[in-house]
Amino acid sequence: MTGLWAVLWAKGRIARHSIASVRNESKLKVGVVSISAALLWIGAFIAFREGFHWLKNFEVASGPSYLGLGDLIMLRLLSVFALALFLMLVFSNALVSFSTIYRTKEVAYLLQAPLTVREFFLVRLVECVVFSSWASAYLGSPLVLAYGLTTGAPWPFYGAALAFYIPFVWLPAALGSLITVLLVRWYPAMPRYTLPAVACVAVVVLFFYLRATLIATETPDDSLFLGTEISRALGVSQRMQSPWLPSHWASQGIILASWGRYGESGFYLLLLTANALMATWVATEAAARLFHVGWSQLAGLPGRSARRAGRGFFAISDRAFRPLPNPARALVAKDVRLFWRDPTQWTQFLLFFGIMAVYIATLRNREPESVPHYRSWIAAMNIGASTLVLATLTSRFVFPLVSLEGRRFWIIGLAPITIRQLVWQKFWLSVATTSAFTITVVVLSCIRLGIEPIAFTLAVYTIIAANFGLSGLAVGLGSLYPNFQEDNPARVVSGMGGTLNFLASMAYISLVVAALTVMLQWEALGLYPNRAAFWWTLAAVGGFITVLSAVCTLLPMKLGLRNLMRTEF
Amino acid sequence: MIRIEGLTKQFGDHTAVDDLNLEVRKGEFFCFLGPNGAGKTTTIKILTGLLRPTRGRAEVGGWDVTTHPVEAKALLGYIPDTPYLYEKLTGREFMRFVAGLYRLPEETVATDGEELLALFGIAEVGDRLIEQYSHGMRQKLSFASCFLHRPEVVVVDEPWVGLDPKNVRFVRHFLKEKTREGVTVFMSTHSLSIIEDVADRIGIIHRGKLIHTGSLQETLATARHPGSLEDIFLQLTEEERQP
Repeated sequence: MTGLWAVLWAKGRIARHSIASVRNESKLKVGVVSISAALLWIGAFIAFREGFHWLKNFEVASGPSYLGLGDLIMLRLLSVFALALFLMLVFSNALVSFSTIYRTKEVAYLLQAPLTVREFFLVRLVECVVFSSWASAYLGSPLVLAYGLTTGAPWPFYGAALAFYIPFVWLPAALGSLITVLLVRWYPAMPRYTLPAVACVAVVVLFFYLRATLIATETPDDSLFLGTEISRALGVSQRMQSPWLPSHWASQGIILASWGRYGESGFYLLLLTANALMATWVATEAAARLFHVGWSQLAGLPGRSARRAGRGFFAISDRAFRPLPNPARALVAKDVRLFWRDPTQWTQFLLFFGIMAVYIATLRNREPESVPHYRSWIAAMNIGASTLVLATLTSRFVFPLVSLEGRRFWIIGLAPITIRQLVWQKFWLSVATTSAFTITVVVLSCIRLGIEPIAFTLAVYTIIAANFGLSGLAVGLGSLYPNFQEDNPARVVSGMGGTLNFLASMAYISLVVAALTVMLQWEALGLYPNRAAFWWTLAAVGGFITVLSAVCTLLPMKLGLRNLMRTEF
Repeated sequence: MIRIEGLTKQFGDHTAVDDLNLEVRKGEFFCFLGPNGAGKTTTIKILTGLLRPTRGRAEVGGWDVTTHPVEAKALLGYIPDTPYLYEKLTGREFMRFVAGLYRLPEETVATDGEELLALFGIAEVGDRLIEQYSHGMRQKLSFASCFLHRPEVVVVDEPWVGLDPKNVRFVRHFLKEKTREGVTVFMSTHSLSIIEDVADRIGIIHRGKLIHTGSLQETLATARHPGSLEDIFLQLTEEERQP
């Protein structure tokens, strides 16, 4: 057995033992997570299948001149999905590879073993692929299956989809790792604010690129549908179909396989595989030359002196939290500093910020030209999108807060504060920070969309309530299922507790958005017998959201606190 | 077996190891002493290939650890103060994994591996996951796995953490016995009584510079007044501190 295979063998055994150890977990937790994950997958599959069916029926119902439109839109949808997934994978791999290649304690162990740097890098690359790509399989499989079943694709299509999947996730892992190796080699030597400045410029460039892409107008190829939303959507999606994009090779190859054109599909598979191998080779050679320099620099990074008191971002945040009594203020100051001094944390937050800016910038007010039920859909979907952003923030950044106290719990354990104070401090910190972000998003998006006053007020109320509900879920479940062995927040989130929190958040959002959609649609369709019935329904929906948010806040917090108080540190 | 020439490691403006020159012979038990932050761990990290030197070179068994890391590390065994072990592997699986890393035949695990597990008293728990081990058991597994590939040079960094007195005594004798078989031991520790018991030669590092090397007798002879190793250590590092 070579060194490379020895490590991969050990990883296989570790995975096996980890799966086996699930039986030691709470049966309730395993059951809830498994059933929720299965239901979410089935729900996504049904949604995709119904969507594809609707597109097929739409072209038939719209007349002969629309023949092929359903197929065209489906193709474009797959392309857009593949591109979005590809970009997400590159980004997440760049983040994951930083901790996997440089930061985990295992690195020092492997480096003192007789492995070459190339072998070491390949081992870590495989781990990055596995770690960052399972979610794409979970998200992508219902889409591909629904597409195959709707279009009646032959069975080799499913094999082809699987074959494309491997190079499709491998390539971004190699690219992301390469970015990390280059950054670690060159970044420590850069002046203090170079990386944040580069990251900000990158977000701004991405913002203008996506904005230019997303507000693209009709293209000559789509002249049949000129002046329609269909034309705009086709125009947008066409811009994402560059033959230079690996996502295009994957989506084209899979689609060609569904048409039985295996030769052309095989060409794209080979193209994607060749590029994945080439990227792996380049990344491995870069690692062989640059890894040790970067690793040494990281190990001996001259402690950049922290800012003097009274200056900079931390001074502003300290002033903002000054009204808080100690020890809550000390805990908040510590959490804020730990967050902003960890590049893997704030870069993701910055990306969220960029995505939200793109979202708001591309919204358009269609009120004058659209029918009421369309406007009500838009209002409900906007609330849905905003709460989804909130759920992503709480799942990614708030859930790991308690776990990250980890082995430092003894410090807090010795301090004259209670665990109750600690956990509630995390809750209020979450509510304060996510509220500032998400309420701004809701207000700006409602203004951009020209949402009517009642729906506007309801949207703001819903996001405030959701800030409490989703923060309660994240902090409560984070305390109920903490992972004190893990220092990497991304890995804490990907555990079973994190998955449960994400699924519970999705369930919360589904219930809230369903209630709002029904209420607003009935109003738009004029189904209320009188105005009083509308107001009563509005009050009932508001009450439902309040009660649901209160339950989602108090119940997990109570259970989480009870668990932490029983835990021995 | 270990040759260090002009070894220097700088972290920015800070010089952690400053022009270190040292040779440790085959079968020698070399103890490396120094106050906190003196440069012991940095030297060990360079020796084990974890860090690259800024200047100078370090050789293990004639192989430069920077230019021929794989060959050098194949001769090397390393026991850190807090060993990293894979929590979700069993003790036996970990031994098998280490055998794979060092390209040892499968049978080695069944023969030498079992022998080492028994020797260190962890054969009975060999099929338990490492996450269930106590700190002492982890340390013993770390020792057992370190000797699986029959290293010619063993670098040990403060290995006594978590071991009970009985095991400290056993490990001390085990390492000494290994040096009699020709294994070179390079040990960093603050346990002066153990050094007095096992060291063939002592090196004292302070502020990145090797300020003294010699046998125990030679070291004790440097004292202005007769005293213990502790007195000598304090005297040497104190003198260095004064201009």
